[in-house]
Amino acid sequence: MDDLRRALLRADPRLSKFQPLSNIIFYDDFDEGLCGWTELIGNYEDSLEQVTDYPEAMDSRPPMLSSLTMHDTGTAGSFHGTYALKIATRARCGHLAKALKRITFRKKARVQCELYFTFKPEGAELKLGERDVRAIGVSYDLQDEACRYWPAIRFLNAEAGARIEKWQYHAGGTRLPHLDGWEDVPDGQQPLCYNEIATKQNWHYLRWLIDLRSREYLELQCNDRAWSLSGRAHAPLKAYPNLRTLFNVGFWVEAEVDKRCFLYVDSVLVSTEE
Amino acid sequence: MRQSYTAVVERANPLSGEFATEPYETGWAREAVIFVKVREEPGDNVELRARVQISPDGIDWVDEGTTFPAIRRRGVYFVKVSNFGNWLRLAGRVTDPGAKIRALVYIALKE
Repeated sequence: MDDLRRALLRADPRLSKFQPLSNIIFYDDFDEGLCGWTELIGNYEDSLEQVTDYPEAMDSRPPMLSSLTMHDTGTAGSFHGTYALKIATRARCGHLAKALKRITFRKKARVQCELYFTFKPEGAELKLGERDVRAIGVSYDLQDEACRYWPAIRFLNAEAGARIEKWQYHAGGTRLPHLDGWEDVPDGQQPLCYNEIATKQNWHYLRWLIDLRSREYLELQCNDRAWSLSGRAHAPLKAYPNLRTLFNVGFWVEAEVDKRCFLYVDSVLVSTEE
Repeated sequence: MRQSYTAVVERANPLSGEFATEPYETGWAREAVIFVKVREEPGDNVELRARVQISPDGIDWVDEGTTFPAIRRRGVYFVKVSNFGNWLRLAGRVTDPGAKIRALVYIALKE
């Protein structure tokens, strides 16, 4: 069965670029549409101005389907096909744009998220802009019978005007969308292939494994490097009403300067085990 | 089945002065309806004027030719556009320089 399954996965060019666990929860190829990805928004009551929770998330921007069309060379297309999910900040330092998909889990087990992504600032200035994107990240919003927790990983690209290029994990923090509580992944420095002008984009592979039973991080991989995150976790919060088995997956991008910053995701596969 | 998607391109910021919504990629879609939902009465002598813009690259913009009628009251307003290329946005002006209009701008796209 394992051999047959492996052969079937390898024979499908859409799936053979992933390494899923035994059960695929979802596979979203953005050539097929937005696939349930939508804008994050804070909580409010009675009016949009009466924000009750997560005020920083009230302007997370709508995701879009991008063909990666550039001012100089036209359409680049995505890793596989024409369209990618695009998340775009406003042209404002510190602005964070985030999109997510809201589902529920049915078993506490290991869960793996894999995606192909790239990021860049808007190309209007005709400069490389390698310090313009502050960070890009992937997050979960989870709640079991006892607590809610927010595991997340991010690539901190630049900060305070300096190029940083390191991976971090979300260890604590209470401010959605993930504005605090970051710790370095040990030896997590990784210069990514960023290319030489703003309109040339190379795609990257990311794989991130967590365990819903222990609520711990397990592994992180980006391209040619992998890290063990065993024993690390996001400090749990109290359980909230109406959220048991919550399983939200999110992508975000944060601007370091007053320029639009873009995160593109070609496709994402989330899998779990029997 | 044809794909469709509605993006709320402005909600958080009130419209004021000269404005333009954030660029939105629409290359997959054949047609769009752009809605402006004005949530509160704009005030006496305050007028919202808005027009559709398109772009080859999401950076430089040009009027598409479609304009909203002058908006003076709370309510829902719309225009229809097609053959718009890869980007759409709404640009416009609130005639009273100090006025702010609470509105949502939707782009409803369909293949």
